[in-house]
Amino acid sequence: MAETLRRVLARCSAAGNREESAAEAGPPLLLLGASGSGKTALLFATALEVAGEGRGPVLFLTRRPLQSLPVGTRTALDPLRLQKIRFQYPPSTRELLHLLCSAHEIPGPAPSLLLLDGLEEYLLNDLGSQEATYLTALLLDTAAHFSRRLGTGQGCGLVVALQTQEEADSRDGLQVAMLRRYFPAQCWLQPGASGPGEHRLRVCLELGGLSPRTEWWVAFQPQGEMRITPIVHPSE
Amino acid sequence: MTKKSVQIKYKHRLKFIFGSSAIQALDLVDRQSVTLISSPSGRCVYQVLGSSGKTYTCLASCHYCSCPAFAFSVLRKSDSLLCKHLLAVYLCQVMRACQQVSVSDKQLTDMLMEKK
Repeated sequence: MAETLRRVLARCSAAGNREESAAEAGPPLLLLGASGSGKTALLFATALEVAGEGRGPVLFLTRRPLQSLPVGTRTALDPLRLQKIRFQYPPSTRELLHLLCSAHEIPGPAPSLLLLDGLEEYLLNDLGSQEATYLTALLLDTAAHFSRRLGTGQGCGLVVALQTQEEADSRDGLQVAMLRRYFPAQCWLQPGASGPGEHRLRVCLELGGLSPRTEWWVAFQPQGEMRITPIVHPSE
Repeated sequence: MTKKSVQIKYKHRLKFIFGSSAIQALDLVDRQSVTLISSPSGRCVYQVLGSSGKTYTCLASCHYCSCPAFAFSVLRKSDSLLCKHLLAVYLCQVMRACQQVSVSDKQLTDMLMEKK
């Protein structure tokens, strides 16, 4: 799924660059950032991107309904795309587990993207590391099942957003270490110096393996639109 | 090279890569302890009857086992690639030596939830 997020960022940062076709989804992606850093907006932009690719629907899991639809990207909020995004709000860890355990019973076309926003809300304090690992494994197993249903060359992408704390204690550290084992690709959102009425952050995307890290500035304008500019390092 | 010497050669290689869990995994395979449980949806899960008599759940799609050794040695300590149950699953996949059980989609959901 990292590939799709990379395409979203690359496409939104280039003027009308449309040749990139719906490439393969890429590895499962862990999106990390502090509260309010723009994770939901990026998840939603990715959902819009995949919803427009003419493949399966997008399954967007989150604890509570989005207060407002992030205006976000160059892609207008095309009703046809919005219809393909299915929001579900499992209120508890057990409900989320049941949703994932019974995903194979969901009728209709298999999703081509599975998104989970706010994983930290489901990794509660009393959730031991084994339960957290099983929940993570089920997310991957569910995406793998959807991929099998979609057929070869059409994999179901998976993106999970996790709120990180500045002062993460050792238990969070263990959980993030476990998560990184299951999510070879990671994307960090770090706040950057912002202009008046603007909220700017630096997005660092690592696809895992030997591929280089790529970075962008993402600036949210007052009305919520995202302006994305690639960060090119002098050595490149 | 006789079949027996082939087995010994591969045993050494497995042991070299996976350590002592290789022999324990081969023992689980020999005792037909690995069961592939699948439902009409095509989703499947593996259950492995451990030497302690306890049954562990393995998800081969993403390298997961519910046993304590996987949580400790593989995830926390990173001093093992996998546990003997997962290795037994992978060996059974290659050797096509799994027991096979078909269940309904609903039963598979209950099994996955029960693991919790």
